[in-house]
Amino acid sequence: MSKSEERRDIFKLSRDWLSVQEVVDAVSSTSCGAVSIFIGATREDEVGGRRVIGLEYEAYELMAQSEFSKLCDDIRARWPTVTHVCVHHRLGWVKVGEASVVMAISSPHRHDGQQAIWHCIEQLKANLPIWKKEVYDTQEASWKENAECPWSFQKKVPPAASPGENV
Amino acid sequence: MSAQVFVLYFAKSVELTGVKEEGSVAVPTPISSRDLWRLLLQRHPRLSLLQDQVVLAVRQQYVAIGDQVVTLGDGDEVAVVPPLSGG
Repeated sequence: MSKSEERRDIFKLSRDWLSVQEVVDAVSSTSCGAVSIFIGATREDEVGGRRVIGLEYEAYELMAQSEFSKLCDDIRARWPTVTHVCVHHRLGWVKVGEASVVMAISSPHRHDGQQAIWHCIEQLKANLPIWKKEVYDTQEASWKENAECPWSFQKKVPPAASPGENV
Repeated sequence: MSAQVFVLYFAKSVELTGVKEEGSVAVPTPISSRDLWRLLLQRHPRLSLLQDQVVLAVRQQYVAIGDQVVTLGDGDEVAVVPPLSGG
């Protein structure tokens, strides 16, 4: 990489349809032989007889940006050859089949970029203050919880023995 | 001492409280994150449905609900953070 090329960390929240090309262009560099990409798309799940028709996303925008910066620092500490990072994430209504998140990382060689992109989506799911609600064809909805998030799926305290039991 | 803070609600907590933002709210400082959570529960008892599956954010830093003591200043943002589901 030429000394004058500053490393870029780009994060965008968008209510519009995401462009993969725009994300790829944001990380392109003549010093990079690899662009690693991840696209997260909205899946048409069936949950308890109800079909998912779309997702509604919201975010604590200011904090999502600062958590993204920390995530990029983490990525660069682990894979110093990573050159540019770009993540675009949807807000609002995303119907089934559309991309919810598009991310791209450029690196001189593919190993670091491929590792970094995996880590990027894992850590985004664990740390960025973004939430999605599944909306079903029954017009019901439910807020999802990422298994990667440390405060979801907490184990409940086991119930005490009932009074009739001889413990 | 007391600080006037903005309280932000997200995701499920918006449905439980009926609000997205409250400002400004008087909060003692310094305060443990547990006491801060209890203060919010007094304002919105239905937040108890998030018990054990929620953290707070103070000035855009996550704070688990417990003994950690935070110092608040006027204008600080405090957020109720249900389990994340980005991506």
